[in-house]
Amino acid sequence: MSRRDGSSSRALAGQRKNRRKWLTFLRMLRYGVNNFSRNAWLTVAATAVMTITLLIIFMTFVAQNVLSDTAVDIGKRIDRSIYLKPETTAAQAKQVMDKIAKLDNVETVTFKSSAEARADYAKENKQDSGTLEAINEATNRIPATINIGLKSVDDTSSLIKFVETDETLKKYIHPVRKPTFIGQRKDATSTIAGWTQFAQRAGIVASILFISISSLIIFNTIRMAIFNRKEEIQMMKLIGADKSFIRGPFVVEAVVYGFIAAMIATILGVLTLTSIAGKLKAYGVTIDPTVTLMTAYAPIVLVAMIALGALIGIVSSLFATRRYLKI
Amino acid sequence: MILLDRVTKSYGKEMKPALNRISLHVEPNEFVIIVGTSGAGKSTLLKLLTREEKPTSGKIVVGGIDYDTLKDKHIPLLRRKIGVVFQDFKLLPQRTVFENIAFALEIAGMTNREIKNTVPKVIELVGLTGKEKSFPHELSGGERQRVAIARAVVRQPKILIADEPTGNLDPKHSWDIMRLLEKINKYGTTVLLTTHNVEIVNKLKRRVITIDHGKIVSDQAQGSYRQ
Repeated sequence: MSRRDGSSSRALAGQRKNRRKWLTFLRMLRYGVNNFSRNAWLTVAATAVMTITLLIIFMTFVAQNVLSDTAVDIGKRIDRSIYLKPETTAAQAKQVMDKIAKLDNVETVTFKSSAEARADYAKENKQDSGTLEAINEATNRIPATINIGLKSVDDTSSLIKFVETDETLKKYIHPVRKPTFIGQRKDATSTIAGWTQFAQRAGIVASILFISISSLIIFNTIRMAIFNRKEEIQMMKLIGADKSFIRGPFVVEAVVYGFIAAMIATILGVLTLTSIAGKLKAYGVTIDPTVTLMTAYAPIVLVAMIALGALIGIVSSLFATRRYLKI
Repeated sequence: MILLDRVTKSYGKEMKPALNRISLHVEPNEFVIIVGTSGAGKSTLLKLLTREEKPTSGKIVVGGIDYDTLKDKHIPLLRRKIGVVFQDFKLLPQRTVFENIAFALEIAGMTNREIKNTVPKVIELVGLTGKEKSFPHELSGGERQRVAIARAVVRQPKILIADEPTGNLDPKHSWDIMRLLEKINKYGTTVLLTTHNVEIVNKLKRRVITIDHGKIVSDQAQGSYRQ
């Protein structure tokens, strides 16, 4: 045989091998889908459990997101004010504000003059004639205020340093009333910041917990489904089926569970989210960004859920078949 | 075709071995009946042949394959050369007669055309023409065993192992199955049969090997059942 003949027959053998692999793959797909459709009771049960699992994961993700948005929001509402002498003008304050705006952790800087602060105070207490009178007669005036919003809620170090060292600020700063983030009032604000941070961390821990519990449940369901067909697996082994050929249909089946469950869970999840959003908002929960995220990126959410469902299915079925596939 | 050389299988150090230094030689195209009470070691012997179990000591060679040098990943290839039939049929309940038989070819990577050509011939051989689309639960015990036999022989194995194939069948169906096994044997397949059925053993007039307490106690060329 010439060399050319040898290589072409090798190529032919390779081609045949590839075709055989492809054929085997198609057959595993077909068997998987067949198993899915011919086992109504099991299919419904496994799909239901998978749906619940994915729904829990979806809701955990949403809750985590909402919680963290709300925490950030509350953090931003924490009062970070520097009080200036009442007679400070907007132009004078601006010199200080420009400097503050340049600090690395600062997001927003706003100014409220003494007169504005007084007007606001009067408005808040307009029912109370005694207080109003007191303001009118008082000789000490309400200080002007610079209000600062921070990017990272609990990091006030650069701000404190600024207050302690800046010369321009020293000219205008209120002699008695200290900034809210220094001294006694600091404790109260840092407690709020601490709580929001704790809530965020607790949310992450709860998410991990929920996701692992529901993954365990779905794993066990698939394991039971496979346990039911233990004999079948043994028989397949005895008539000479490869491990991958035995496993393949189970994996395909689990992926189909995951696919269907992901669709149901996503629809249910998004519907639930949009329907309760209004009520939660009334309680001061920052839910809008999450709702926007979930509705605007619905297709991506769906794809992610399908991928997750398929992944859980694949991992569970691979693990569950392993013990029956020993020689 | 089958060679066992001083094969011992024990499941624990304290227990008596299930098989104790058994030596056995089966020629190609032989029809061998293995008899013995339950617990005598018949099942262990068959499990060793299908490589479900490894012997504790001794040598096994089947169809030219030495089990000592057989790698785990090649076990499926070995099993495709040995057809097996069980007392409880072990069919796939969710699949039709045709699909059950085709399965044995599919796992070997045969093309759909080959399968379409081969399966009807085997269905005809076992006498189930017309039942291709039935599911196992729609068939009688005898018919199910025919499906199992069809599945075992569709790949034209050199050896057919039938483990109490008539254990769940009435006498009439049992004889049908026996005729079928004889036919398969006539076409050139070595048949290894275990049974409890005295009448079958005595009428078939084939080589009979009797196992008791893990040892071969008799091996007769045209044997009968010894209690």
